[in-house]
Amino acid sequence: MKLSRRHILRGGAAMAGAGFLPRLGFDAARAADTNGYRALVCVFFKGGMDGHDLLLPYDETSYNRYREIRAPLMSSYDRNEAGARRTRNELLELSPANAGDFGSRRFALPPEMAGLHELFTDGHAAIVANTGPLLETINRTSFRDRSALRPPRLGSHNDQQSTWMALAPEGQRFGWGGLFADAQIAANANEVRAFTAISVAGNEVFLSGQDVQQYQVTGRGANTVQELTRPQLLGSGRNSERAQQLLDEHFRASGTTRSNLFERDMATVARRSIEINTLFNDSTVNAPPLLTPFPDSRLGGQLQSIAQVIDSRTILGAKRQIFFASIGGFDTHSNQANSLPGRQREISEAISAFYAATEEMGVAQDVTLFTASDFGRTLTVNGDGTDHGWGGHQFVVGGGVNGGRIFGDVPPAEVDHDWDSGRGRLIPTTSIEQFAAPLGRWFGLNESEILSTLPLLNQFDPAPVFI
Amino acid sequence: MVWGSLERGQQPRRSNRVSLALLATGLLAAGCNSAEDSGVAALLAPEGSVGAQSSNEASRFLVQASFGPTPGDIEFVENLSYSGWIESQLGMPMTEYLAPLILETFVGNEVSDDVNRYDFWESSVLAPDQLRQRMVYALSQILVVSDRDQGLGDRPLVLAQYKDILTEHAFGNYRDLLDDVTYSPAMAQYLTYLRNRKADMASGRVPDENYAREIMQLFTIGLVMLEMDGTPSPGDIETYDNEDVKGLAKVFTGISYQSDEFFNNDEEVEHLPLITFNEQHSQEEKTFLGLTIPANTDADTSIQMALDHLFAHPNLAPFISRQLIQRFITSNPSPDYVRRVAQAFERGSYQLPNGRDVGEGRRGDLAATLCAVLLDPEARQDPLTAPSDFGKVREPVLRFAHWARAFRVTSADASKERMLRDTTGTGNLSQQPFRSPSVFNFYRPGYIAPSTATGDANITAPELQIVSEASHVGYVNFMSDFIRDDTPDQNGATGDEFRPNYTEELALADRPAELLDRLDTLLTYGLMADETRDRIIAVLNEIPIGEDNDEEDRETRVHTAVLMLTTSPEYMAQR
Repeated sequence: MKLSRRHILRGGAAMAGAGFLPRLGFDAARAADTNGYRALVCVFFKGGMDGHDLLLPYDETSYNRYREIRAPLMSSYDRNEAGARRTRNELLELSPANAGDFGSRRFALPPEMAGLHELFTDGHAAIVANTGPLLETINRTSFRDRSALRPPRLGSHNDQQSTWMALAPEGQRFGWGGLFADAQIAANANEVRAFTAISVAGNEVFLSGQDVQQYQVTGRGANTVQELTRPQLLGSGRNSERAQQLLDEHFRASGTTRSNLFERDMATVARRSIEINTLFNDSTVNAPPLLTPFPDSRLGGQLQSIAQVIDSRTILGAKRQIFFASIGGFDTHSNQANSLPGRQREISEAISAFYAATEEMGVAQDVTLFTASDFGRTLTVNGDGTDHGWGGHQFVVGGGVNGGRIFGDVPPAEVDHDWDSGRGRLIPTTSIEQFAAPLGRWFGLNESEILSTLPLLNQFDPAPVFI
Repeated sequence: MVWGSLERGQQPRRSNRVSLALLATGLLAAGCNSAEDSGVAALLAPEGSVGAQSSNEASRFLVQASFGPTPGDIEFVENLSYSGWIESQLGMPMTEYLAPLILETFVGNEVSDDVNRYDFWESSVLAPDQLRQRMVYALSQILVVSDRDQGLGDRPLVLAQYKDILTEHAFGNYRDLLDDVTYSPAMAQYLTYLRNRKADMASGRVPDENYAREIMQLFTIGLVMLEMDGTPSPGDIETYDNEDVKGLAKVFTGISYQSDEFFNNDEEVEHLPLITFNEQHSQEEKTFLGLTIPANTDADTSIQMALDHLFAHPNLAPFISRQLIQRFITSNPSPDYVRRVAQAFERGSYQLPNGRDVGEGRRGDLAATLCAVLLDPEARQDPLTAPSDFGKVREPVLRFAHWARAFRVTSADASKERMLRDTTGTGNLSQQPFRSPSVFNFYRPGYIAPSTATGDANITAPELQIVSEASHVGYVNFMSDFIRDDTPDQNGATGDEFRPNYTEELALADRPAELLDRLDTLLTYGLMADETRDRIIAVLNEIPIGEDNDEEDRETRVHTAVLMLTTSPEYMAQR
């Protein structure tokens, strides 16, 4: 039974349970821009990517000091059998348009990130430096004497992942990505709200909103229940339409009411899994594959799936979409020289391919990808690895980005400076709100919607205008 | 209803691996789970004790306490009640993981790198020490190690040794468990303190903080101060900060393999408990959580002092108790329930309904704690009158194992079952024992699912963290293949493992109502919803049983009924 999109829309409202809560004030009449197409893509690096090993100091003075402080790790790199190096002449120097903001200091990317380096040089990528959770502006002094508020649960993976996605530790119901999507749904941006927030990397609070429910896709289209599409089961009952009908009703939990909340949630997921998967597959089955080749890596596969969904945006009736991708393995307490570079190569190649795909589709200006991670890491090392930090550096990539620039502040690759909370763990100088606000505005939210989703925004200086 | 139709004397056939182990260690294989096991007479309750349970109550208890009821188990619990089953389980010989592998190497066989992916499937379906292995599975989701770590994926002996640790202490003491886990090569590799070294001023090197942080956050005290009932103490007080982590990190230095030299890479000893090397151990004062270990304290003493100090923390009992309740019974226990279990943990003993005591009386006794979890009034309450927020989503591994046990799979060598090699994807079960994506397990104890009924009620539903439109369909398709016994072996042919035995069900196939009664007790302990029942019966009535294809038609009916029931909300959730 094929469902019309209208049916899904009606069903969606009932399923979301939105009636329980006061809305966050999204008002269709005042909602901002729903023209054209806009997509945000969050790429989350789980474990805490070492910012100090991502944006490296390049001018000789800073580089030599960095080498000194990180001597044991630099030894690992020097001896590295796998070939990854951090010798100065192998680093990829960045030439930001705002180099003057950093005086004589210069910066570079690791040799594994040639693709991202090229995007930066071409003006399609920017770096937003030293970003992380803040409740208010804080420095080394006010951190130590506790005269400024510290964000809770610093250094805890799950809580910092949650804080990046939903501005508070684990247990949050809504992420800012989901709330951005809610605002656009309130403005009726999409014909089918089911395809507004899409994850290719599991359930995450980032895409959870009051109205929007995230939908998960894998690389090969949406899964279908094989008993409904290629029935093995019914045997001599195979010819019975009634049997087929009943099976279908069972798998989509038709008319199922349960008082137990856990049973109810399982019934809901059963229903959605048939209805929405079927709609998704029906909509995308005839889409021609993209020509742009993607690397055969985890992130490559995820970004390829996202690109394919974007390619089907018209037939899915979507004008505003938010995506979530994620890979892990960044918690490099040990063996950093052998594990981080390979992942950085994976990131660089996958993002480059993704950007190329958006050009192929003619939507390079309309898609913005940004990175995030639990936290940065310590500047000082524990031997062959680093420990949990706080502020980290992020990339923003897209045709609409104010590229080729490093936004925000880059503290010195040193210890005991004003933004060192200990061992070179950076105190962020750009908050998550300041990072998210420009993305939200670009996505089409108006100022009141931005403030609803990022309540602490006005604690901080105006956000860096990277897009 | 007669449950005693399990073929008498039929021994579940285990792989050679397990049989060898049992022989080698001189243990008796406890075969049938029927009430005729030797020694049962000794377990019969004294006069005036608690009576038997109904078959549905027995089935529900086994869903909570084991990997799923077999018909024989249900009969056992019906006759001997919960106390009898628990005591039988407490006395059951342990399944071993490392010894059989060592034996293989002694007789000159190679041990496959993949052993860790396979061995636990067999335990979950066939191990006689069900309660113990179920506790091992629960502990493996708290004190997590995973073969997805690149240093563990090709070290099956190391992971087997870790499984032995959890097995040995499952009914033992949490302090002993912490000790063996700390000295385990698996944990040292997973949380990166293997060969962690003291600070070195010259190079700026400081000790790795990973284990120090995670042992506090995940294995002992959690992030905020707790009351004994598991609720956060007023003021949201964080239990530790970075300084505590730094101080404790110094303790876990100087630990390496059992060899003469700290830096030796000797495969022969990789699976043995680790030892300490004082020249690599921090000689500084080590201060954390109000304890100062004096300067120049040797490594082993420092470790003992640190573990003692963590073990003594008042958070430990509620922190561990609440998570154990979540693994077995319900995602949101009432504070009173948590408190009662935490008190059993603190007391170290628990009195069974039959009047006998479990536990050694030492704080941290896991047998006592587990009994408190399973036998608490909140766990044993009638599910028909329980509140709507009682219960949990059942994790896919348990949904699958339950099916295998209910239909008397007797051969469960997962190495010959291609679909079990990697079940972590959304196309299959979204999880696999000992293969979680990180030390945070497949799901977090505090996960609240957005846009759901449980989420709207602001209650945790950890298992929903791995549930999605994609994963649900994967589960349905996965079960469908196993139920119809249509799963490939390593060569792609239909294999001989995990074969269900539907004998009783086939006999009832022409009487759908009776068939469903049986399946209801076996799979949903009497909670099959009317609409599920009506729908299944309606479908079965559309499948004629012809004279020519009688057997095949009966099979079709049974397969259909079992698939529909195992994909119903009442089976996929637990209450």
